[in-house]
Amino acid sequence: MREQIEVIVAEDNVVQRTYMRRLIENAGVTCFKVIEAEDGQAALELLKTSRAEILITDYQMPGLNGVELTRAARSLDLGRYVHIILITGTDMGGYDVRADALNAGADDFLNKEKDPTALKARLRTAMRLIHHGKELEEQHRAMKEANDRINEDLAAAAHAQRNLLPDINTNILGAHVASVFVPSSVVSGDMFGCFPLNDSQIGFYAVDVSGHGIRASLMSVAIGYLITPEFFTKSVLDEDGIPRPARLVRELNERFCTDAHDDYFTMLCGVMDTRRVKLFFCQAGYPSPYYVDANGNATPIGDGGFPVGMFSGVDYEDGNIGVDLDGMLLCCSDGAFEAENNEGIPFGEQRMEEIVKQIYHEPADKVPEKIVKALADWRGRKPLEDDLTVVAVKRNMR
Amino acid sequence: MIHTTQADAGITVVRTGMERLTAINSKAFKDGIVELIDAGNSVIVIDFTKTNFMDSSGLGALAGVLKKIGHRGDLAVCGLNAEVTQMFKICRMDRVFSIYADEAAAVRALSEKT
Repeated sequence: MREQIEVIVAEDNVVQRTYMRRLIENAGVTCFKVIEAEDGQAALELLKTSRAEILITDYQMPGLNGVELTRAARSLDLGRYVHIILITGTDMGGYDVRADALNAGADDFLNKEKDPTALKARLRTAMRLIHHGKELEEQHRAMKEANDRINEDLAAAAHAQRNLLPDINTNILGAHVASVFVPSSVVSGDMFGCFPLNDSQIGFYAVDVSGHGIRASLMSVAIGYLITPEFFTKSVLDEDGIPRPARLVRELNERFCTDAHDDYFTMLCGVMDTRRVKLFFCQAGYPSPYYVDANGNATPIGDGGFPVGMFSGVDYEDGNIGVDLDGMLLCCSDGAFEAENNEGIPFGEQRMEEIVKQIYHEPADKVPEKIVKALADWRGRKPLEDDLTVVAVKRNMR
Repeated sequence: MIHTTQADAGITVVRTGMERLTAINSKAFKDGIVELIDAGNSVIVIDFTKTNFMDSSGLGALAGVLKKIGHRGDLAVCGLNAEVTQMFKICRMDRVFSIYADEAAAVRALSEKT
């Protein structure tokens, strides 16, 4: 059953008021509860203390007239809408009271003549609007509640994903590892890991799942949990302790290849070997990382490789390069190169190499944030369209 | 989104209409081509002349099309710009896709094969 709608009738003439009450009560709509107000001020007070949603007011009253009452009612902060119907005489001596009342916020008008059918029609309209408003409000509330819950869940997921990542700044076996991780939405399809394998080798990987957002993040987190230091060590190091990162990539490829969907990921997997003074790596569709020598010369390394989880049975190759003291490895996800400015021009490799030249001498922990800053300047107001990861690994053993 | 014409020797030429093939439209793109394959068009050329950007989702959709055709037909792509070509190279897609400069070259190559 619908709840009762309270109706305030503001009318200084007691006969008219009683008549109006009767009309409303006999309008054949049982859900109205009439509250009488003997003038505008009393009606205003009743609006505050009752739950009235309809106000029917005469124009001529001592103190506040109908238009003034309407204006005063609209300035109240009631937390509900009040449907206001103004009753006017036919002869107002040339004064357009209706225009004035409309400006003040009245919803409808009635002539002062006795017309029960017109009143009934106005009340029905008011009732329909009130119910409709309540339904909308309820829908809005339910949607907001659902939305809040989703956002809370997402924030929790983002927190869990963050916790999977290594410290933003960390020293491992005399190498300084610094990273920045910027999701394009709350959660990210990027993943990154870095850990010592033993007392002379540092293992690292960066992953970028195709697409972005929640769907991509599910896979990136699964990968993050899968590639533990133990898994990495077992897959990558051969019997002689020589790093073969392609073995790990091959293993992941067979594990993630399925015809069920088109999702895949690109990956860079590597080992910084401090004893052999070399970087061993396997590139699987991930943008070529830069090796930056002690003089700031940035060289892209690797000539490509298949993404992981796209084609079963494809092969992956190992590569290696020598690493100087103070040499730096810099990995950026494609979100960096593809970041577009206002004119739709991507940041690209050339600009990246110029930035690297300017900042290579900085300590490792300053490098990722400076690149993120340069990308933000480039994009201007354009939001990041893809997840962004920047990792700098600097040998610093002086 | 895609515009289809029939060339000689049962080759279907698909011209992409979108400037960007991304997460937003890659599913519709793939669905459109899969529909063609299901309708019996098994030798297809996709012309990307109008497309100047492809993201990882777009590449995933295209790889899905290639897997869908499998051994029952043939797929060639053409009209790749420098950026897309570079992305194909980094991902070794040049080893799995038959890539041609333009439609005429692609159609010629496919009709010689069949």
